[in-house]
Amino acid sequence: MIIEARGLRKTFTRRGRGGTERIEAVRGIDLSVAEGEIFAALGPNGAGKTTTVRMLATFTAPTEGTATVAGHDVVRQAAKVRERIGYVGQTGGMDDNAPGLDSLLLAARIAGHSRKQAAVRADELLAAFSLTEIARRPLKTLSGGQKRRFALAVGLVNRPPLVFLDEPTTGLDPQNRANLWQEVRALRDQGTSVLLTTHYLDEADALCDRLVIIDNGQVVAEGTPQGLKKEIAGDVVTLRVDDQAAALALLAAQPYIKETQERDGALLAYLDDGERNLTGLLRALEAGGLAIRSISLDRATLDDVFLRHTGRSLRDAA
Amino acid sequence: MLRHTALFFGHELRTVLRNPAWALIGIMQPVLYLLLFAPLLTTTTRGGTMGEALRMFTPGAMMMIALFGSLFTGFAMINETRNGVLERLAVSQAWRPAIILGRVLKDMLVLACQALLVMGVAVLMGLRLSLAAALLMLLLMAATGLFAASLSYGLALAIRDENGLSQIVQFFALPLTLLAGMLLPVSLGPQWMQTVARFNPLYYAVEAGRSLFAERLTDSTIPVAFAVFFVLGALTLTWSVRSLRKLAG
Repeated sequence: MIIEARGLRKTFTRRGRGGTERIEAVRGIDLSVAEGEIFAALGPNGAGKTTTVRMLATFTAPTEGTATVAGHDVVRQAAKVRERIGYVGQTGGMDDNAPGLDSLLLAARIAGHSRKQAAVRADELLAAFSLTEIARRPLKTLSGGQKRRFALAVGLVNRPPLVFLDEPTTGLDPQNRANLWQEVRALRDQGTSVLLTTHYLDEADALCDRLVIIDNGQVVAEGTPQGLKKEIAGDVVTLRVDDQAAALALLAAQPYIKETQERDGALLAYLDDGERNLTGLLRALEAGGLAIRSISLDRATLDDVFLRHTGRSLRDAA
Repeated sequence: MLRHTALFFGHELRTVLRNPAWALIGIMQPVLYLLLFAPLLTTTTRGGTMGEALRMFTPGAMMMIALFGSLFTGFAMINETRNGVLERLAVSQAWRPAIILGRVLKDMLVLACQALLVMGVAVLMGLRLSLAAALLMLLLMAATGLFAASLSYGLALAIRDENGLSQIVQFFALPLTLLAGMLLPVSLGPQWMQTVARFNPLYYAVEAGRSLFAERLTDSTIPVAFAVFFVLGALTLTWSVRSLRKLAG
């Protein structure tokens, strides 16, 4: 395990005019990330994802709990941890006025490279992220996607076995987002472990090997994207009717419906083998005399997993 | 540790050199004071000459850049608390004090260069100055910069708000200027003003500067000023490095 965290808690105290306010950002999180895996922390904004990553990356000390990252304790051996991690924060952390190359070279030298080694390492990273052409331009003149790639390159300068990516694709257009996913997969292929946070369902679904869903400072579900979805059902029928109570009773009586939820005034019915069972459901609704306003069949997503565990949709929560 | 300090110093210096115009604009204020205010002082000096007036006024004008230039240097760091640069550096292998030290050294060097230019202008206007006095004055400026820049970084990390920092610096700048005798020596004022001035560190800098420009190189004001700024510099530097550690809350 490259990350092993037990009972992580972080409470911030803010002193204001109305006395002190305690904010429990993280309330007891356990995490295990295996070597060479892409691990995601999925959750709405304010769920405690960033605070968790910041504790694991030694930026801030946990109020309670322990964590071992790359073989070292994040509090007692912070310096050792820092040698073995890359960290790319939400805001990138790049000097906007300097050319990207300058920041990259500085980071390489801080990591212990000689002037010559730093130049070699910078060239490698620039080539890997297609940044060679724009290396000498001031960072502020670059696009969001280019800046993000520079931030990633800086995070990898010390060849860390583990990289933290906090909301790596927030604010990127779909094209740049897809490119970044490719780059993250390439990292895993080279044996680098990745812990990323995201509030995008599709990102967690498409990119990660395993994930935790975090809500309100706690882990509410953990597993592979496939496994978590399988826990509920393969498919989901979204149904809008006039008489919800009658529809709920009717759905509960169907043996192939595993679970029902309500969201935005619609009923969600979880079932396997949806294509085949949908006809049976339609027939039952008709027999029950329920007028259908709309009905649709979709594959279950991680949002359905989130809904099941928190009672809210991630789309609303975020 | 020293290596990291040197690396940050170099990086910061390259930032200044990319836009040297900003540092040059910084000396416009003292130069304008020399050109437009010093001539008004000729009648107040004993000899009544421009050289005399410059000898009294130039050290004060130079300390203005220390005050107005270096105290505002923290603005860049407020931005760095927000754009994630400090966050990234905090979890890198960088020796943390080097992050502040490298920047303070840059400010000290920039200040010494600005001071050199202002002295150059004063010499062109008729000031006579020995090499020893000029060199000591540059060192004194650097020591003032150590204090002012460290204070500014400490304030920036404590306040983390551009509006707050600019209000606080502006609030202190005027009384500090007047009570240091930058424009006119405090010794011209009443006793209570002279007493209050003793609590203003910049007063010692201006006094030492005047001793240097008067070629009284062994005057006690000089070691006193250096001692004041080394102690205050060490305190504010420690404070700002500590604040950096508390960045994450």
